[in-house]
Amino acid sequence: MLTYATELPVRDELDAAHTEAMAEWSGPGTWWTGTQRLAIVVEVRRARDAAPLTPWQSPSTVDGLVPDDHPLPDVVVDVVWRLTNHPGTLTTDWHASILARGVEPLAYVEVVSIVAQVNCVDRFADALELDRMPIPEARPGEPDRLIPDDAEVRHHWVPTADIGGPNVWRALSGVPAELEARSRLSTPHYLEGWAVFGDVVSDRFSLQRVQMELIAARTSKLNECFY
Amino acid sequence: MTLEAIAGSDNGDGGVRHGRLLVRLAEAMWEGDPGPLAAVRDELLAAAGADVLVDAVAVSANFHMMTRVADGTGTPLDSGTDEASAGFREEIEVNDLVSRRHVPSA
Repeated sequence: MLTYATELPVRDELDAAHTEAMAEWSGPGTWWTGTQRLAIVVEVRRARDAAPLTPWQSPSTVDGLVPDDHPLPDVVVDVVWRLTNHPGTLTTDWHASILARGVEPLAYVEVVSIVAQVNCVDRFADALELDRMPIPEARPGEPDRLIPDDAEVRHHWVPTADIGGPNVWRALSGVPAELEARSRLSTPHYLEGWAVFGDVVSDRFSLQRVQMELIAARTSKLNECFY
Repeated sequence: MTLEAIAGSDNGDGGVRHGRLLVRLAEAMWEGDPGPLAAVRDELLAAAGADVLVDAVAVSANFHMMTRVADGTGTPLDSGTDEASAGFREEIEVNDLVSRRHVPSA
């Protein structure tokens, strides 16, 4: 059953990937419960829909913006807003300040993953004037806190596993479930796995590969992403 | 594809079919203003069709995700890309970005 109600030709695999992503966010992850993961989803939406804050303004320091009974620690709310609205402003010092406020390094990775995925799903819906994916009830259960044996800080700010491949591929590898979730979501939007790096000429869906790369490059530039 | 289109939709189509409209779509998605977004959506729909519109939106949305993965995790440029892109990074005006990170030399 399709979630998006539209006459536009939204491919079934896109609809299914978004529906699956929301279902995954509603359940326990590696570091956060289903309730907390859905709270991250809600917080991305609040960050995008709110009057903009400057990069150096944290929502937790604005009176009344973060309720006392919020299911997430203030520091996580601050990460969600900053990463959603000002991703190109993040620095090594900023990341260190987040860990200093008590966030586990790999729990931070899971937050990054969810924020990034929600930005993908919601911006797709918003751009086509579709209703955003509805938020379900959280599923019970505890995070498994699974840490890959070889996870350590190498070239990123965050611990990564020694899985090979391009650096952006490795970025979420310290939380394997998030690497897989991000990859599943990316495939119907862009390219499948290693095709990103091995095939620069084949067309995909209704687009020529060069059209895809132009959109990708312009979007990355707008987000002030050097990578 | 020529590089000037990456700098903005005022710079032509970059030699890409519907390139200027695709860049305008990416810009309108980033800005999030409903008026310009609706306008470019209608223009792209008329010029290239609904499938292209949906797929172009999907690609841009994907890179709102990937940029946040890269910049949220402090991902440095891969050494191979670092060398290969040195010649055109100035042209696309990315060398001064806060998010510039390189793998440290051994």
